[in-house]
Amino acid sequence: MARLVVMGGGVSGHTAATFAKKWLGSEHEVVVVTPNSQWNWIPSNIWVGVGQMTKEDVVFPLAPVYEKAGIDYRQAKAVSIHPEGKADSDTPYITIEYTGQGKEGQTEEITYDYLINATGPKLNFDATPGLGNGEGQLGEHTVSVCTADHALHANLELQKILEKAKTEKQKVLVGTGHGMCTCQGAAFEYIFNIEHEARKAGVRDNLEIKWISNESFLGDFGIGGLHIKRGMYAASSKLFAESLFVERGVDWLVGAHVNKVEEGKVHYELLDGSTGEEDFDFAMLIPPFAGVGLKAYDKNGEDMTDKIFAPNGFLKVDADYTAKPYEEWKASDWPRTYQNPTYSNIFAVGIAFAPPHLISKPMSSPNGTPINPTPPRTGMPSGIIGKAVAHSVVDLIKNGENAHLHEASMAEMGAACVASAGKGLTDGTAAALTVYPVVPDFEKYPGIGRDLDYTFGEIGLAGHWIKHILHHLFIYKAKLKPGWTLIPE
Amino acid sequence: MVKELTVYPDERILACGDVRGFDESVGKLFDDIIDTMKRHDLDALSAIQVAHPFNMFVVKKEDQYIEFANPRILQKSKPFEAEERSSYYPDISAVVPRFEKMKIVYEDRNGNTCYMDADGDRHFAAMFQQMMDFSLGGTMLDRIDKKQKQRILDALEGKGLVPQPGDVCPTFSRKDYFVSFADKILFFMGLSLLTPLFKFEKNTVEHIYMFDKIAFPLVLALMLGFFLYAFYESKKYKQCSSCQVGNNIGVVIKRSVAAVVFALGAYFLVNPN
Repeated sequence: MARLVVMGGGVSGHTAATFAKKWLGSEHEVVVVTPNSQWNWIPSNIWVGVGQMTKEDVVFPLAPVYEKAGIDYRQAKAVSIHPEGKADSDTPYITIEYTGQGKEGQTEEITYDYLINATGPKLNFDATPGLGNGEGQLGEHTVSVCTADHALHANLELQKILEKAKTEKQKVLVGTGHGMCTCQGAAFEYIFNIEHEARKAGVRDNLEIKWISNESFLGDFGIGGLHIKRGMYAASSKLFAESLFVERGVDWLVGAHVNKVEEGKVHYELLDGSTGEEDFDFAMLIPPFAGVGLKAYDKNGEDMTDKIFAPNGFLKVDADYTAKPYEEWKASDWPRTYQNPTYSNIFAVGIAFAPPHLISKPMSSPNGTPINPTPPRTGMPSGIIGKAVAHSVVDLIKNGENAHLHEASMAEMGAACVASAGKGLTDGTAAALTVYPVVPDFEKYPGIGRDLDYTFGEIGLAGHWIKHILHHLFIYKAKLKPGWTLIPE
Repeated sequence: MVKELTVYPDERILACGDVRGFDESVGKLFDDIIDTMKRHDLDALSAIQVAHPFNMFVVKKEDQYIEFANPRILQKSKPFEAEERSSYYPDISAVVPRFEKMKIVYEDRNGNTCYMDADGDRHFAAMFQQMMDFSLGGTMLDRIDKKQKQRILDALEGKGLVPQPGDVCPTFSRKDYFVSFADKILFFMGLSLLTPLFKFEKNTVEHIYMFDKIAFPLVLALMLGFFLYAFYESKKYKQCSSCQVGNNIGVVIKRSVAAVVFALGAYFLVNPN
């Protein structure tokens, strides 16, 4: 009997664990280690953040689902990896520290034959003074929608602002809280959902809404922007986004690294090196992501974290990490199998794998401050990668270590994204976009790096319906209800 | 070297990307753009307007030709309306919303990062922003309201400048709207079959079933409309495989069968009575 241990139970980890268990059956063991007791459909958190969904709508308990699937579930956080075992044993293992199941604070060693790192990111609020509380958590000046609880808190604060806006001017600031953030899409959705709710509440005229972002142009989204084909026409995501911002009366500031947050005020540095301040009554700023701080030790107990993890804390995989200038970046730099080059029984999926470089054009201010979006590895790609890695591990277990590994390069996969711009059965809107490939391939598609025939988008009510249907569909899938394997990632 | 200007409705204007490497070809293209501007007496010209799909352009400010590669506008303020012309749309002008004050970051022909605070020169600001529209995929017509845009497109059509599908079939025709709408309805009909898996209230199930009852004849009606319009198009365009009657019959049969299957499924699975 082989044992697969999956660290993390988010979109990619849950996908990898559940598919692996389905394919491996009862002959082999799948263990999931995640500090959370509940699974969260993160894309719908923005609706919790504006009071259009409850927390219960976007989460469900993991334990019964894993019990049904026959997966060994440990509510614990992974602390360290020991790929070579220890002095008296060659069996690799990880150490965990329980966060639930009545064993809070207890530590344990779990041996593995194969390990998938799907820990997701650490929400690195403290990277920006004032954005965090100094202890790694969200600070007191701003809100977040990164978790369901954050979103719940965001809504409570937002409702106060909407109430105040009935009698006085209020200013809302939404965007990224650092020059190296990703997930601009979530902030994009949140700002337009706030705008939508303000209109519904009849207080839009009293609400100044502003976007602040580390993108060098609106519509970059961390993937260097895209061109959207609509019928016979094509438009860049820059024009697409700017049109939406103008139409909804939302002002914007881009190329900004937020370097300090105070009560009612952010300080920022722009790409041209100039600095400025922006006041707010309510601010939702996405924090930068970092690795969760896992340590790695060799057989003798010596720290070798930098051997398998990149400096940002994400796990190294089969990518080309050679430092090279922007013009030499290639699609082939991106990983295909997500296997660690040093230890072939370790894989990383979703946000946990270290990307070889940015997707957007790298930019920095004259002061040397890097200000550019980091690559997104969330949503559809993370699910696809999780499933491909599960497939690889299953083949390795069943067919031996020479089994062919399954591939899912972000430079060869397309992705669909439905970004909400307001929730409502008849007045909701969402932008539905597809992009192929996610990472531009400038050799295959000279100029824009993508295939215009497979990169298109629309905004409208139907998009909102699709977003809402996807919400139910993916939660249905994650609960492993009948036919769950038929629902694509 | 003077380059040939693209003129509406030339589709090569559609999309371009950032300049990635700064070798001598970048400087050569800037020189060609400037030569072309001088020949045609233009105040601004982008690479995409001479059919090179790169985010670079030149704007004339007083007597100086300023070269911009990969420009970005970080901050803008002081909105105004500019009356603009473009060599891409000959003999027309449009009133376009622009900003007078801008913080700009860009690269020169050698890839050196440069910065500019532009303020007080509305003509330069308008030209710069018009070029920005071109250089990231779009034109100034994407910035104006639908009525003004339609007036301009009508005027261009009056000059004989209109996208020409020619004798071959268009890549997108109106009959596809029928199919697209029918597909969306079929998608929701299919989804409605999942109703028994959820614990909906009876009232909700009745609404879902009512949708199915309306959707079924609607899909059949759309397929009839599709077939009649496709028949009309098949007379209009020649050498058009997608307009052939056989293909159209196939489209109609496929969706009609799907509608019947979904309707039967709804009758047995969704019907609350």
